[in-house]
Amino acid sequence: MNPSADLGGLQQAFMAQVLDEDAPLPHGWGKRHAVGMSVYRGNYRSALVEAMRSTYERTEKWVGEAAFRRAAAHHLIAHPPSSWTIDDAGAGFDRTCAELFANDPEVAELAWLEWTMLEAFTAPDVAPLDLPGFSAATSGFGDEDWADMRTTFLPGSRARVLAHDLRAIWKVLGEEDLVRPQFEIEGDTGCLVWREGERATFIMVEADEARAFEAMRQGSSYGEVCMTIANEGDQSDSAQSDAAMRAGAMLGHWLNEGLIAAID
Amino acid sequence: MDSIPPFGGFGLGLRRQHYADFLAGEVPVDFVEVISENYMVDGGKPLRVLEEVRAKHPVALHGVSMSIGSAGGIDPAYLDRLKRLAERIEPLWVSDHLCWTRTSAHNSHDLLPLPLTRDALDVACANVDQAQNHLGRAMLIENPSSYLTFPEDELTEWEFIGEMARRTGCYLLLDINNIYVSACNHGFSADDYLAGLPLDSVRQIHLAGHTPATKERPVVIDTHDRDVCDDVWALYARAMSMLSVPVATMIERDDNIPPLADLLHELDEARAIAAGASDKGAGESIAA
Repeated sequence: MNPSADLGGLQQAFMAQVLDEDAPLPHGWGKRHAVGMSVYRGNYRSALVEAMRSTYERTEKWVGEAAFRRAAAHHLIAHPPSSWTIDDAGAGFDRTCAELFANDPEVAELAWLEWTMLEAFTAPDVAPLDLPGFSAATSGFGDEDWADMRTTFLPGSRARVLAHDLRAIWKVLGEEDLVRPQFEIEGDTGCLVWREGERATFIMVEADEARAFEAMRQGSSYGEVCMTIANEGDQSDSAQSDAAMRAGAMLGHWLNEGLIAAID
Repeated sequence: MDSIPPFGGFGLGLRRQHYADFLAGEVPVDFVEVISENYMVDGGKPLRVLEEVRAKHPVALHGVSMSIGSAGGIDPAYLDRLKRLAERIEPLWVSDHLCWTRTSAHNSHDLLPLPLTRDALDVACANVDQAQNHLGRAMLIENPSSYLTFPEDELTEWEFIGEMARRTGCYLLLDINNIYVSACNHGFSADDYLAGLPLDSVRQIHLAGHTPATKERPVVIDTHDRDVCDDVWALYARAMSMLSVPVATMIERDDNIPPLADLLHELDEARAIAAGASDKGAGESIAA
């Protein structure tokens, strides 16, 4: 008989017991086993919920501990962890929050921000490109080179279009007394997340900048981004020129903030 | 596989709450132990802190997710990350637990118990071999605490561990508190446990606190959230008097973390007990 097959069956059954409090105990197990299994079930849930509380400290403060614990438990039942690191138990929690806090959509955005900052915190160490480095890399560029230019951003950096002012929410969540700020905004806004030295950070930007950043992060060329911006305006010559100016301003912003790692 | 030479130091677990203490000054420890998974990351502050601490102290890497007892074997990607960390830190040794944490689909992030069967022993030995070969070094395997035993059990835990050490050449991390917890929960003798182990394979000892059983919950739980209790200190003293080679001793605190000074005080107590056991052992040896 294959020892790993037998052990594998036992471990599958044991894991089912840990994950599901209503699962019937295996044949031959008595009260003593039930008591022991209740400890393993408790350990499983408490360790994972505590890990999520650590990752989503501000989200928890925003919704309150009881509501957060319910949401975390729901997330863990719907998405039992599979990764070797317990930190990953919180992956995708922003989508869970979008379902559970549908009337408070800022909760999902806040959860996304905390998760993205956690990922940036331990991303690979890469020095950002400084202005002299950028100038040297682009010194011989002609028009076609600029159009074909692609950028590599710092590992872990991300952008997203948002519907709420997370900067205002984040600020009050760092204070002892939570006084809810005005966080509703008209239209869309955007957010850039990256690691500055050893500190994960974010800034709010215009929505078009967040879209452009994500497009270039995923491989679009500078020329394609310029085209996208131009297509969002009218088709006049001045709109084309404005688009180039806007794209240039974004590039300068990313360079000044230290978000660009390399020019390709 | 190179052998792991005995090292008789006294150390603490490096916890985030004490980062500043370890970076700022000279903490009187002979080594620190870190949870490997916390540093199996790509970059950022955790690795920088660990490297600074490593410049001051020897470091032991202690894992919680290798899943030595998994029927499906050990995840090679996990071993790759651990190997990179070990190459970067050059640790005293790499350790993990005799337990399983995952199936092919899920990871419990808890140290789940193995049935003490010969089949499970074969699987654990194959996995230890896989890990040691991948890492290119012998490992320390820690005895677990557990809250249930299996009807299928064929061996005592000390027989299981002793056979595993003999077959794989791994070393042992002896958790005194875990022996105490499991002895209380399963009704075996902690002294029988110690006497049944190949103690010359022990390279490190863990000491920790636990949550006592209650009438409502008749199980002792290994919580690492309080001071080491008198019974565990007494068992530590007996273990130290039985050991024939120097071993490293560490206070393992994972929750309700006190100020560093409190843990250093507990470590001093361990030093005093070890010194007493050493004197007593020497005296007995002379008398014999």
